Amino acid sequence: MAKLKTFRIILWIFLIGLVVGLSAVYYVFNKPRRNVSKETAAFTLDAKQLISDFKIDEAAATKKYLDQAIMVKGEIKSVRTLDNHSMVFSLEDEMEGVSCTVDSADVVSNSSKLSQLVKGSAGTFKGRCSGMLMDIQVINCVPE
Amino acid sequence: MNKLILLFAFVLTFGIAGAQSRFLTKDAKINFNSSTPLEDIIAESNQATTFIDIEKNEIAFSVLTTSFKFRRALMEEHFNENYMESAKFPKAKFTGKIVTPIDWKSEKMVVAEIKGQLTMHGATKDMTIKAQITPGKNKIIATSELKVTPEDFKIAIPSAVRDKIAKEVTIKIEAAYAPYQQ
Repeated sequence: MAKLKTFRIILWIFLIGLVVGLSAVYYVFNKPRRNVSKETAAFTLDAKQLISDFKIDEAAATKKYLDQAIMVKGEIKSVRTLDNHSMVFSLEDEMEGVSCTVDSADVVSNSSKLSQLVKGSAGTFKGRCSGMLMDIQVINCVPE
Repeated sequence: MNKLILLFAFVLTFGIAGAQSRFLTKDAKINFNSSTPLEDIIAESNQATTFIDIEKNEIAFSVLTTSFKFRRALMEEHFNENYMESAKFPKAKFTGKIVTPIDWKSEKMVVAEIKGQLTMHGATKDMTIKAQITPGKNKIIATSELKVTPEDFKIAIPSAVRDKIAKEVTIKIEAAYAPYQQ
């Protein structure tokens, strides 16, 4: 009788362990996407400063800013809407400035703020810096 | 005679200034597919920058590896941290020469061969790719599909997951270029 009890306890521990383990695996596998808009910015700076940092030493600037949540402010030189309904705001220079991309879902949820961000006005965006091609790219942006 | 020289000079200056030789887009689409029956692996970026120089028949294409979006956040993490090592090698790029003659004034689609080098993950490989190029006065459309083998770019895939990732990754590109004024 005592043996059966121990067996039952072991079985329960095993089952609970299995459920916990499986849910952990499930959680890691389906882990939520990073939400930069809810993070505190690691760097808050002017677009001009960011541009000059990358112009002076691209490798060092990439190391410093890549994948960091940054908040960047500057004059909007162009606004584009892409095929997938995300929007790109170019700060300080249309070609070689800072391009802030707002994903389509965030375009919908920030529509009133975004409608005020027209060419010539000042804009502040928080997003994740993905490096520099011609321009410095900041992705997953939200307007501040 | 003087008038003729003046006219000639006029045509020459404005003829050259009017002819646009470089075309650019910063919103080219690139996606890749390395799915196997065991796992769907698809990623996309809309933030590739690419140039075509129609005088030199040259093409350049670059994309930031962290701008690829996957279905699962975990895949994105593995892609950037384990496979592409994006912190060390943030860009992937292709530069090449269009070897098939193209009449840039026509608006007919041409299947062109482009010879060049693909660089990613710090490794460079000579490649000849095929692209469908549709010239136009104010717009050039280009699409391409190419296959790459991760091992050619020193991307090590652990044997435990090797069967889940395709041996050859199919990359698709779509770009709509506009004239570029400097």
